[in-house]
Amino acid sequence: MGRILIVDDTMFMRTLLKNILFSGGHDIVGEAADGAEAVARYQELKPDLVTMDVVMPKVNGIEALKAIKAADPGAKVIMCTAVGQEQMVKLAIRSGARGYIVKPFQAPKVLEEVKNVLSA
Amino acid sequence: MAIMKSVPIKVEHEGKWVPATMGIGEDRIRIGAPLDCEIPYRSMVDLEAKKNQVTIAAGPEAEEVYRIASVEKVLSVLKKFVITRCSAYRLNAFFMSPAIRGGVLVQDAHWEKGAIAVMKTGIWFISQENQVCIPLEDVTGIELTRREIQEKDLDVVKIDHLIENEVVTSFILCPKTTLQVLYNFLNEATQGSRYEGELDPLTGQVAMLVYSGMDSSSIENMLKLSHKDLDAIYEQLLTTGFAEVIYIRKEIQLTTKGVRYISDAVKSSSNQ
Repeated sequence: MGRILIVDDTMFMRTLLKNILFSGGHDIVGEAADGAEAVARYQELKPDLVTMDVVMPKVNGIEALKAIKAADPGAKVIMCTAVGQEQMVKLAIRSGARGYIVKPFQAPKVLEEVKNVLSA
Repeated sequence: MAIMKSVPIKVEHEGKWVPATMGIGEDRIRIGAPLDCEIPYRSMVDLEAKKNQVTIAAGPEAEEVYRIASVEKVLSVLKKFVITRCSAYRLNAFFMSPAIRGGVLVQDAHWEKGAIAVMKTGIWFISQENQVCIPLEDVTGIELTRREIQEKDLDVVKIDHLIENEVVTSFILCPKTTLQVLYNFLNEATQGSRYEGELDPLTGQVAMLVYSGMDSSSIENMLKLSHKDLDAIYEQLLTTGFAEVIYIRKEIQLTTKGVRYISDAVKSSSNQ
Protein backbone atom coordinates (compact mmCIF):
# COMPACT_ATOMS: atom_id res chain seq x y z
CA MET A 1 0.00 0.00 0.00
CA GLY A 2 1.32 3.44 -0.80
CA ARG A 3 1.34 7.05 0.31
CA ILE A 4 -0.32 8.94 -2.53
CA LEU A 5 -0.59 12.60 -3.58
CA ILE A 6 -3.66 13.39 -5.72
CA VAL A 7 -3.40 16.28 -8.18
CA ASP A 8 -6.51 17.50 -10.04
CA ASP A 9 -8.10 20.92 -10.46
CA THR A 10 -11.63 19.63 -9.77
CA MET A 11 -12.61 18.71 -6.26
CA PHE A 12 -15.06 16.12 -7.63
CA MET A 13 -12.25 14.17 -9.32
CA ARG A 14 -9.96 14.48 -6.29
CA THR A 15 -12.73 13.14 -4.05
CA LEU A 16 -13.49 10.30 -6.43
CA LEU A 17 -9.83 9.26 -6.68
CA LYS A 18 -9.44 9.61 -2.92
CA ASN A 19 -12.37 7.24 -2.36
CA ILE A 20 -11.10 4.72 -4.87
CA LEU A 21 -7.53 4.75 -3.55
CA PHE A 22 -8.66 4.70 0.08
CA SER A 23 -10.87 1.67 -0.65
CA GLY A 24 -7.73 -0.03 -1.98
CA GLY A 25 -5.98 0.51 1.35
CA HIS A 26 -3.78 3.42 0.26
CA ASP A 27 -2.94 6.41 2.38
CA ILE A 28 -3.82 9.76 0.77
CA VAL A 29 -1.10 12.05 2.12
CA GLY A 30 -2.14 15.18 0.26
CA GLU A 31 -3.99 16.89 -2.56
CA ALA A 32 -3.12 19.68 -4.98
CA ALA A 33 -5.31 21.66 -7.37
CA ASP A 34 -2.69 22.79 -9.91
CA GLY A 35 0.77 21.92 -11.17
CA ALA A 36 2.68 24.46 -9.09
CA GLU A 37 1.02 23.27 -5.90
CA ALA A 38 1.74 19.67 -6.93
CA VAL A 39 5.48 20.31 -7.22
CA ALA A 40 5.56 22.06 -3.83
CA ARG A 41 3.52 19.35 -2.12
CA TYR A 42 5.69 16.63 -3.66
CA GLN A 43 8.83 18.21 -2.18
CA GLU A 44 7.13 18.55 1.19
CA LEU A 45 5.41 15.12 1.40
CA LYS A 46 7.69 12.83 -0.65
CA PRO A 47 4.81 10.48 -1.54
CA ASP A 48 5.30 7.00 -3.01
CA LEU A 49 3.10 7.88 -5.97
CA VAL A 50 1.34 10.86 -7.57
CA THR A 51 -1.83 10.80 -9.68
CA MET A 52 -1.54 13.87 -11.90
CA ASP A 53 -4.26 15.48 -14.01
CA VAL A 54 -2.90 16.79 -17.33
CA VAL A 55 -5.06 19.83 -18.00
CA MET A 56 -4.84 22.25 -15.06
CA PRO A 57 -4.51 26.02 -14.58
CA LYS A 58 -1.18 27.79 -13.94
CA VAL A 59 1.28 24.92 -14.42
CA ASN A 60 -0.18 21.96 -16.36
CA GLY A 61 0.35 18.31 -15.45
CA ILE A 62 3.10 17.65 -18.02
CA GLU A 63 5.15 20.63 -16.77
CA ALA A 64 4.61 19.56 -13.16
CA LEU A 65 5.64 16.00 -14.05
CA LYS A 66 8.86 17.28 -15.63
CA ALA A 67 9.63 19.43 -12.57
CA ILE A 68 9.00 16.54 -10.18
CA LYS A 69 11.14 14.16 -12.27
CA ALA A 70 13.93 16.76 -12.47
CA ALA A 71 14.03 16.98 -8.69
CA ASP A 72 13.47 13.25 -8.09
CA PRO A 73 14.16 10.98 -11.11
CA GLY A 74 12.70 8.02 -9.22
CA ALA A 75 9.32 9.69 -8.72
CA LYS A 76 6.34 7.52 -9.65
CA VAL A 77 3.65 9.52 -11.43
CA ILE A 78 0.47 8.26 -13.08
CA MET A 79 -1.05 10.79 -15.47
CA CYS A 80 -4.79 11.23 -15.60
CA THR A 81 -6.70 12.93 -18.39
CA ALA A 82 -10.02 13.07 -20.18
CA VAL A 83 -11.11 10.99 -23.14
CA GLY A 84 -9.95 12.58 -26.39
CA GLN A 85 -6.61 13.77 -25.00
CA GLU A 86 -4.87 10.43 -25.45
CA GLN A 87 -2.34 12.15 -27.75
CA MET A 88 -0.80 13.42 -24.54
CA VAL A 89 0.13 9.85 -23.62
CA LYS A 90 3.39 9.73 -25.57
CA LEU A 91 4.44 13.16 -24.33
CA ALA A 92 3.74 12.10 -20.76
CA ILE A 93 5.54 8.77 -21.13
CA ARG A 94 8.53 10.58 -22.70
CA SER A 95 8.46 12.97 -19.76
CA GLY A 96 8.72 10.09 -17.31
CA ALA A 97 5.15 9.09 -16.42
CA ARG A 98 4.90 5.48 -15.23
CA GLY A 99 1.24 5.01 -16.15
CA TYR A 100 -1.75 6.69 -17.71
CA ILE A 101 -5.42 6.76 -16.71
CA VAL A 102 -8.16 8.02 -19.02
CA LYS A 103 -11.27 9.61 -17.48
CA PRO A 104 -13.87 8.28 -16.99
CA PHE A 105 -12.21 5.38 -15.21
CA GLN A 106 -13.32 2.35 -13.23
CA ALA A 107 -12.11 1.71 -9.70
CA PRO A 108 -10.72 -1.84 -10.08
CA LYS A 109 -8.55 -0.85 -13.05
CA VAL A 110 -7.25 2.27 -11.31
CA LEU A 111 -6.26 0.20 -8.27
CA GLU A 112 -4.60 -2.37 -10.51
CA GLU A 113 -2.57 0.33 -12.28
CA VAL A 114 -1.55 1.94 -8.98
CA LYS A 115 -0.50 -1.46 -7.64
CA ASN A 116 1.56 -2.18 -10.77
CA VAL A 117 3.34 1.17 -10.65
CA LEU A 118 4.01 0.96 -6.91
CA SER A 119 5.47 -2.53 -7.19
CA ALA A 120 7.59 -1.77 -10.29
CA MET B 1 -17.77 -28.06 -54.21
CA ALA B 2 -14.33 -28.82 -52.79
CA ILE B 3 -13.90 -31.89 -50.61
CA MET B 4 -14.54 -31.07 -46.98
CA LYS B 5 -12.92 -32.71 -44.02
CA SER B 6 -15.54 -33.78 -41.49
CA VAL B 7 -15.11 -32.92 -37.84
CA PRO B 8 -17.22 -33.99 -34.88
CA ILE B 9 -19.47 -31.32 -33.42
CA LYS B 10 -22.67 -31.00 -31.44
CA VAL B 11 -25.63 -29.13 -32.89
CA GLU B 12 -28.77 -27.90 -31.29
CA HIS B 13 -31.68 -29.85 -32.72
CA GLU B 14 -35.24 -29.56 -31.44
CA GLY B 15 -34.01 -27.98 -28.21
CA LYS B 16 -31.35 -30.63 -27.51
CA TRP B 17 -27.62 -30.87 -28.20
CA VAL B 18 -26.97 -33.84 -30.46
CA PRO B 19 -23.70 -35.22 -31.89
CA ALA B 20 -23.16 -34.61 -35.60
CA THR B 21 -20.40 -34.02 -38.13
CA MET B 22 -19.53 -30.81 -39.92
CA GLY B 23 -17.56 -30.20 -43.09
CA ILE B 24 -15.99 -26.79 -43.62
CA GLY B 25 -15.59 -26.03 -47.32
CA GLU B 26 -14.44 -23.13 -49.43
CA ASP B 27 -17.90 -21.72 -50.04
CA ARG B 28 -20.17 -23.48 -47.53
CA ILE B 29 -20.40 -25.69 -44.49
CA ARG B 30 -22.20 -28.99 -44.42
CA ILE B 31 -23.82 -30.34 -41.25
CA GLY B 32 -24.59 -34.06 -41.22
CA ALA B 33 -27.55 -35.93 -39.69
CA PRO B 34 -29.86 -35.11 -38.04
CA LEU B 35 -29.75 -31.64 -39.69
CA ASP B 36 -28.46 -32.83 -43.09
CA CYS B 37 -27.98 -29.41 -44.61
CA GLU B 38 -25.54 -27.20 -46.46
CA ILE B 39 -25.18 -23.53 -45.57
CA PRO B 40 -23.40 -21.30 -48.09
CA TYR B 41 -21.26 -18.61 -46.42
CA ARG B 42 -22.87 -15.91 -48.56
CA SER B 43 -26.25 -16.71 -46.98
CA MET B 44 -24.84 -16.15 -43.49
CA VAL B 45 -25.60 -12.77 -41.97
CA ASP B 46 -24.61 -13.14 -38.35
CA LEU B 47 -22.17 -14.93 -36.07
CA GLU B 48 -22.17 -14.95 -32.29
CA ALA B 49 -19.69 -16.80 -30.14
CA LYS B 50 -19.47 -17.71 -26.48
CA LYS B 51 -17.08 -20.16 -24.85
CA ASN B 52 -17.24 -23.35 -26.93
CA GLN B 53 -20.32 -22.44 -28.96
CA VAL B 54 -21.12 -20.41 -32.03
CA THR B 55 -24.48 -19.32 -33.36
CA ILE B 56 -24.78 -18.73 -37.08
CA ALA B 57 -27.76 -16.93 -38.57
CA ALA B 58 -28.48 -17.30 -42.26
CA GLY B 59 -31.15 -16.22 -44.73
CA PRO B 60 -32.40 -12.76 -45.75
CA GLU B 61 -34.10 -12.21 -42.39
CA ALA B 62 -31.58 -14.24 -40.37
CA GLU B 63 -34.39 -16.73 -39.99
CA GLU B 64 -32.22 -19.88 -40.09
CA VAL B 65 -30.31 -20.26 -36.83
CA TYR B 66 -27.66 -22.92 -36.25
CA ARG B 67 -26.04 -23.49 -32.86
CA ILE B 68 -22.82 -25.44 -32.99
CA ALA B 69 -20.58 -26.59 -30.15
CA SER B 70 -17.09 -27.98 -30.60
CA VAL B 71 -13.49 -27.66 -29.48
CA GLU B 72 -11.76 -24.28 -29.79
CA LYS B 73 -9.59 -25.37 -32.73
CA VAL B 74 -12.61 -26.34 -34.87
CA LEU B 75 -14.61 -23.26 -33.93
CA SER B 76 -11.64 -21.02 -34.68
CA VAL B 77 -11.42 -22.39 -38.26
CA LEU B 78 -15.20 -22.15 -38.66
CA LYS B 79 -15.27 -18.54 -37.42
CA LYS B 80 -12.43 -17.56 -39.74
CA PHE B 81 -14.30 -18.90 -42.79
CA VAL B 82 -17.59 -17.35 -41.75
CA ILE B 83 -16.12 -13.93 -40.93
CA THR B 84 -14.14 -13.69 -44.15
CA ARG B 85 -16.79 -15.09 -46.49
CA CYS B 86 -20.25 -14.30 -45.08
CA SER B 87 -22.60 -11.54 -46.20
CA ALA B 88 -21.35 -8.54 -44.19
CA TYR B 89 -19.73 -5.13 -44.51
CA ARG B 90 -16.08 -6.16 -44.55
CA LEU B 91 -12.72 -4.46 -44.95
CA ASN B 92 -9.04 -5.01 -44.41
CA ALA B 93 -7.76 -2.95 -41.51
CA PHE B 94 -5.47 -2.73 -38.54
CA PHE B 95 -7.04 -2.97 -35.12
CA MET B 96 -5.98 -2.64 -31.52
CA SER B 97 -8.24 -4.35 -29.01
CA PRO B 98 -8.24 -3.71 -26.13
CA ALA B 99 -6.26 -0.47 -26.07
CA ILE B 100 -7.78 0.90 -22.85
CA ARG B 101 -9.50 -1.10 -20.08
CA GLY B 102 -11.52 0.65 -17.39
CA GLY B 103 -9.72 3.90 -18.19
CA VAL B 104 -6.22 2.43 -17.95
CA LEU B 105 -4.01 2.13 -21.02
CA VAL B 106 -3.08 -1.43 -21.86
CA GLN B 107 0.73 -1.28 -21.89
CA ASP B 108 1.34 -4.14 -24.32
CA ALA B 109 -1.48 -3.21 -26.73
CA HIS B 110 -0.37 -3.36 -30.36
CA TRP B 111 -1.81 -2.97 -33.85
CA GLU B 112 -2.84 -6.19 -35.56
CA LYS B 113 -3.28 -6.55 -39.30
CA GLY B 114 -6.46 -8.31 -40.28
CA ALA B 115 -10.04 -7.97 -41.43
CA ILE B 116 -13.13 -6.45 -39.95
CA ALA B 117 -16.65 -7.66 -40.58
CA VAL B 118 -19.69 -5.77 -39.38
CA MET B 119 -22.50 -8.25 -38.95
CA LYS B 120 -26.09 -8.06 -37.81
CA THR B 121 -25.34 -8.12 -34.08
CA GLY B 122 -21.61 -7.53 -33.79
CA ILE B 123 -18.30 -6.33 -35.16
CA TRP B 124 -15.69 -9.02 -35.71
CA PHE B 125 -11.92 -8.44 -35.88
CA ILE B 126 -9.89 -11.28 -37.25
CA SER B 127 -6.12 -11.56 -37.52
CA GLN B 128 -3.59 -14.40 -37.59
CA GLU B 129 -3.57 -14.49 -33.78
CA ASN B 130 -6.97 -13.21 -32.72
CA GLN B 131 -10.69 -13.33 -33.26
CA VAL B 132 -12.42 -10.59 -31.33
CA CYS B 133 -16.15 -9.82 -31.31
CA ILE B 134 -17.76 -6.64 -30.08
CA PRO B 135 -21.54 -7.12 -29.83
CA LEU B 136 -23.28 -3.97 -31.14
CA GLU B 137 -25.51 -3.90 -28.05
CA ASP B 138 -22.36 -3.52 -25.91
CA VAL B 139 -21.02 -0.53 -27.85
CA THR B 140 -21.08 2.60 -25.66
CA GLY B 141 -19.40 5.02 -28.04
CA ILE B 142 -18.12 5.47 -31.59
CA GLU B 143 -15.77 8.29 -32.45
CA LEU B 144 -13.70 9.34 -35.43
CA THR B 145 -10.52 10.64 -33.87
CA ARG B 146 -6.76 10.98 -34.45
CA ARG B 147 -3.98 8.93 -32.90
CA GLU B 148 -0.23 9.11 -33.16
CA ILE B 149 1.02 5.97 -34.91
CA GLN B 150 4.70 5.65 -35.84
CA GLU B 151 5.27 9.40 -35.44
CA LYS B 152 2.26 10.20 -37.69
CA ASP B 153 -1.06 11.63 -36.61
CA LEU B 154 -3.60 9.32 -38.28
CA ASP B 155 -7.38 9.06 -38.34
CA VAL B 156 -8.82 6.11 -36.47
CA VAL B 157 -12.23 4.89 -35.38
CA LYS B 158 -12.45 4.54 -31.62
CA ILE B 159 -15.00 2.08 -30.24
CA ASP B 160 -15.89 2.05 -26.55
CA HIS B 161 -17.66 -1.10 -25.44
CA LEU B 162 -18.47 -3.19 -22.39
CA ILE B 163 -16.89 -6.53 -21.53
CA GLU B 164 -18.42 -7.96 -18.37
CA ASN B 165 -19.24 -4.46 -17.05
CA GLU B 166 -15.73 -3.21 -17.78
CA VAL B 167 -15.46 -0.32 -20.25
CA VAL B 168 -12.95 -1.18 -22.97
CA THR B 169 -11.67 0.93 -25.86
CA SER B 170 -10.58 -0.52 -29.21
CA PHE B 171 -9.19 1.28 -32.28
CA ILE B 172 -9.51 0.59 -36.01
CA LEU B 173 -7.10 2.00 -38.57
CA CYS B 174 -7.73 1.88 -42.33
CA PRO B 175 -7.64 4.30 -45.30
CA LYS B 176 -9.48 7.53 -44.51
CA THR B 177 -12.30 7.11 -47.06
CA THR B 178 -13.10 3.61 -45.77
CA LEU B 179 -12.80 4.83 -42.21
CA GLN B 180 -15.53 7.42 -42.76
CA VAL B 181 -17.83 4.77 -44.26
CA LEU B 182 -17.11 2.42 -41.35
CA TYR B 183 -17.74 5.19 -38.84
CA ASN B 184 -21.09 6.10 -40.45
CA PHE B 185 -22.07 2.44 -40.63
CA LEU B 186 -21.25 1.78 -36.97
CA ASN B 187 -22.83 5.02 -35.86
CA GLU B 188 -26.08 4.04 -37.52
CA ALA B 189 -25.94 0.46 -36.24
CA THR B 190 -25.56 1.65 -32.64
CA GLN B 191 -28.00 4.57 -32.85
CA GLY B 192 -30.38 2.82 -30.43
CA SER B 193 -28.11 3.28 -27.41
CA ARG B 194 -27.60 7.03 -27.98
CA TYR B 195 -29.31 9.51 -25.60
CA GLU B 196 -30.12 12.88 -27.13
CA GLY B 197 -31.11 14.71 -23.94
CA GLU B 198 -28.88 16.03 -21.20
CA LEU B 199 -28.67 15.10 -17.53
CA ASP B 200 -28.64 17.81 -14.87
CA PRO B 201 -25.16 18.28 -13.33
CA LEU B 202 -25.92 16.41 -10.09
CA THR B 203 -27.44 13.41 -11.87
CA GLY B 204 -24.43 13.46 -14.20
CA GLN B 205 -22.07 13.34 -11.22
CA VAL B 206 -24.00 10.42 -9.72
CA ALA B 207 -23.82 8.59 -13.06
CA MET B 208 -20.07 9.23 -13.20
CA LEU B 209 -19.63 7.82 -9.68
CA VAL B 210 -21.67 4.71 -10.52
CA TYR B 211 -19.51 4.30 -13.64
CA SER B 212 -16.42 4.45 -11.44
CA GLY B 213 -17.79 1.70 -9.21
CA MET B 214 -18.91 3.69 -6.16
CA ASP B 215 -21.69 2.18 -4.03
CA SER B 216 -24.73 4.08 -2.73
CA SER B 217 -23.30 4.99 0.66
CA SER B 218 -20.03 6.29 -0.89
CA ILE B 219 -22.07 8.41 -3.33
CA GLU B 220 -24.21 9.79 -0.49
CA ASN B 221 -21.07 10.72 1.48
CA MET B 222 -19.19 12.20 -1.48
CA LEU B 223 -22.04 14.37 -2.75
CA LYS B 224 -23.62 15.01 0.69
CA LEU B 225 -26.93 13.55 -0.45
CA SER B 226 -29.69 12.05 1.65
CA HIS B 227 -30.85 8.51 0.96
CA LYS B 228 -34.13 9.95 -0.38
CA ASP B 229 -32.37 12.39 -2.76
CA LEU B 230 -30.12 9.66 -4.11
CA ASP B 231 -33.12 7.40 -4.62
CA ALA B 232 -34.80 10.11 -6.72
CA ILE B 233 -31.67 10.47 -8.86
CA TYR B 234 -31.41 6.69 -9.27
CA GLU B 235 -35.04 6.69 -10.38
CA GLN B 236 -34.18 9.24 -13.08
CA LEU B 237 -31.24 7.12 -14.27
CA LEU B 238 -33.48 4.05 -14.34
CA THR B 239 -36.24 5.85 -16.25
CA THR B 240 -33.83 7.09 -18.93
CA GLY B 241 -32.47 3.57 -19.33
CA PHE B 242 -29.00 4.65 -18.17
CA ALA B 243 -28.93 2.16 -15.34
CA GLU B 244 -30.47 -1.05 -14.10
CA VAL B 245 -31.12 -2.35 -10.59
CA ILE B 246 -28.62 -5.00 -9.55
CA TYR B 247 -29.99 -5.52 -6.04
CA ILE B 248 -32.13 -3.75 -3.45
CA ARG B 249 -30.50 -3.19 -0.09
CA LYS B 250 -32.64 -3.01 3.06
CA GLU B 251 -32.28 -0.41 5.81
CA ILE B 252 -33.64 -1.79 9.09
CA GLN B 253 -34.20 -0.82 12.71
CA LEU B 254 -34.49 -3.17 15.67
CA THR B 255 -37.85 -4.21 17.11
CA THR B 256 -38.48 -4.49 20.86
CA LYS B 257 -37.37 -8.12 20.63
CA GLY B 258 -34.12 -7.12 18.92
CA VAL B 259 -33.40 -4.29 21.37
CA ARG B 260 -34.03 -6.68 24.30
CA TYR B 261 -31.64 -9.25 22.81
CA ILE B 262 -28.86 -6.64 22.42
CA SER B 263 -29.46 -5.25 25.94
CA ASP B 264 -29.32 -8.76 27.43
CA ALA B 265 -26.23 -9.64 25.43
CA VAL B 266 -24.40 -6.51 26.63
CA LYS B 267 -25.45 -7.21 30.24
CA SER B 268 -24.26 -10.82 30.13
CA SER B 269 -20.93 -9.88 28.57
CA SER B 270 -20.33 -7.08 31.10
CA ASN B 271 -21.16 -9.50 33.98
CA GLN B 272 -18.46 -11.96 32.90
